[in-house]
Amino acid sequence: MKDPSKPLGDSLGTHKTQNTAEQTMERLIFSLSELEHLGQTLISGHSNFNHSSKTYLRITLGTLQIRRGAILRYHSTGQNLDVVAATPEEVFSPISVEADELEALLKHSFIDNTDPPKSLKQFFARSAKLSEAIDIRLWVPLKIQDEFLGMIGLGKFLARDALEAWEKELLTTLTHQISIAIAYSQMVEGIQSEKFRLFMLAESAPQICQLLQPEDAAEQVVQQAVSLLDANAGALMLTHTEQQELEMRYAFPETLIENTASQDNGNGLVISYGEDTPVSEEPTSVDVLKSVVKEGIPGHCLPKSDTLFGGKNLMAVPIPGRDGDILGVLIVGDKEERGGRITPFTDEDVVLLDSFAKQAGVAIENAQLHQEALEARQLQAEMEEARKIQVNLIPETLPDIPGYEVAGHYEPRGPVGGDYYDCLPLSTGHWGLAIADVSGKGMQAALLMATLRAGLISELSRAESIEQETLNQSSLYTEIANMAMILNSLLYASGTEEKYATFFYSHLNPETDVLTTLNAGHNPPLLIKKDGTYKWLGEDVGGIPLGMFPNDMVSSIADYEAEHVQLASGDVVVYYTDGVTETVNVEDDYYEEERLVEASQACKDEPAEGIRKYLHNAVMEFQGEADQFDDLTLLILRKQ
Amino acid sequence: MLNKFDIQIREAQEHAVIETTGYLNDALGEQLSEKAQELIQGGCVQLVINLEKTTLINSIGISILIEIIESLEEREGTLNFCGLSPTQERTFRMMAIAKYAGIFPDEESAVANL
Repeated sequence: MKDPSKPLGDSLGTHKTQNTAEQTMERLIFSLSELEHLGQTLISGHSNFNHSSKTYLRITLGTLQIRRGAILRYHSTGQNLDVVAATPEEVFSPISVEADELEALLKHSFIDNTDPPKSLKQFFARSAKLSEAIDIRLWVPLKIQDEFLGMIGLGKFLARDALEAWEKELLTTLTHQISIAIAYSQMVEGIQSEKFRLFMLAESAPQICQLLQPEDAAEQVVQQAVSLLDANAGALMLTHTEQQELEMRYAFPETLIENTASQDNGNGLVISYGEDTPVSEEPTSVDVLKSVVKEGIPGHCLPKSDTLFGGKNLMAVPIPGRDGDILGVLIVGDKEERGGRITPFTDEDVVLLDSFAKQAGVAIENAQLHQEALEARQLQAEMEEARKIQVNLIPETLPDIPGYEVAGHYEPRGPVGGDYYDCLPLSTGHWGLAIADVSGKGMQAALLMATLRAGLISELSRAESIEQETLNQSSLYTEIANMAMILNSLLYASGTEEKYATFFYSHLNPETDVLTTLNAGHNPPLLIKKDGTYKWLGEDVGGIPLGMFPNDMVSSIADYEAEHVQLASGDVVVYYTDGVTETVNVEDDYYEEERLVEASQACKDEPAEGIRKYLHNAVMEFQGEADQFDDLTLLILRKQ
Repeated sequence: MLNKFDIQIREAQEHAVIETTGYLNDALGEQLSEKAQELIQGGCVQLVINLEKTTLINSIGISILIEIIESLEEREGTLNFCGLSPTQERTFRMMAIAKYAGIFPDEESAVANL
């Protein structure tokens, strides 16, 4: 069959001579054939109305012999009519439709553009530009039952002032077909959109759960949510439960954050949602997010109240964790429709985003757990390295000191600590005995301990030369105190306020048996006399730990001061770290100093090595099955 | 990449390649549709759409791609896609886009199979 619509269109000027009954019949048969074809295409789900609207308009105009016209499609979400096809082709702005106008439009089958009903005068005033451009004479609302779907506007009728009755009947049939096409197209679009969304939901969940880096997981969660909801923006904020804060982890697009008032915070944008945070009367987007995380329910925010992302229509849902706590908030902004219109999020959207957020929670927790495991492995490796450093700093064997016995014990118990002891020979024949406990754990503690040891050795070698010239006790006091200040300065420069070392230094002159000591915040060593009486060394003249404060502050708090004791045969000095006295048993009791005194008194007549073993066994026996978290260090000096 | 927003066209004698960059939503989709329609109306009905730099597509982007396929079908043209991520490829198959358009791993094979 030839296409009668084109010849008709081309020969409309000769309408009168060619408008025979035969031609009319041919026109009708062609139109019906075209409509059937279009109907089949629509039913196949492989077409949409916007695409076929031009053909519908061409058929309608050709069949009714009208040069100009337009088809307008109604968007219920935007409450406006969009021109989807027009002859001549031109771009027109959408025309808004008020609720009462919608009712009026549904009541009419045909509306004369020159004499519209009163209730529609405003509407036709708004559509005047389109009416003038197309020269619209007749409007036909497109509807199925009570659902308004759009309008068709028809221009000047060729060679007649009005449509004949049979033409109106034909027009009614055509508009009904077009209405069905729109309704069907809406249904197909809806099904396609839902199919896409469900597929994306099913597809994205396992994908995001496989991501191991928290940053990647955050990025994918936001992007998938944006795509899933047809939004044009999105963000993920995670909670810091202790601080009661929400922190921005990813925003899409990047300009979303740059446009906000809090741009100086960048991606680290933080919102406090604690109890003390006042909530404004008219909830802003920030208030909505606080509410979402506190109440654990979805929230919405209109553009006028969005102070966070520069005026977007927002929907936010909580991200639940495995334990039922709220991991964060997933936000999407500005849901778009075809044509770029922004449309409100629906209840179905809330359900969809909520479902996705549950998957997102699993993905985020997976990534966090992976990250924690990775960090734990790195920490473990660092601990092992630190342990090697620490063990290498502790002497494998202790020297023989004429007239004395020395024994040492170091036992790691838990994370690497910073215990240290040493017995260093001086060129004068004197000896330097040191014990220290560096705060913190791991590599930093081990390195601080290494710094302390290096500083000690360096200072002792410097002091030796001076000592040879000035051997009196007063000079020695000064020399040792100066050394402590230098070590303090060295450690302070090496670490932070949290990194410091308790330190006890003893200078032994084996010829005079004078033990000159200095305590920098360490547990006072125990001097057990041969008769069983005891004394805590450095208890009364103790300075503060090394590296905690700068030297000028140390002077104002408590200067390092040395003192001395005279040792006699059978005297024992027990140096130890707090790992000894703070050993706990299964009843959560501490070993404490009293037990150390009792044990030391019990074994004081043993050789140094025997005392070491006895004290160690005593602590172990006390400890029983209880877990310990601090290293145990002992250094025994016994005057033969 | 997603924050950028661009369309590049490489025209040859018998075909054209349209390369998109960024989120294929309504805004980028409309641009893509406009460019594709210009090419089709100009008689170029052998098209390749390269989505390598478009990792994110929403349902509106999908519907716009379907419209381009329909326009080409009317003109007995051919459309091949390339540069799809595995998810995009599965999406295209599930949405029946793959029934009416070819999917190829790279631009070279997509052009060769027009």
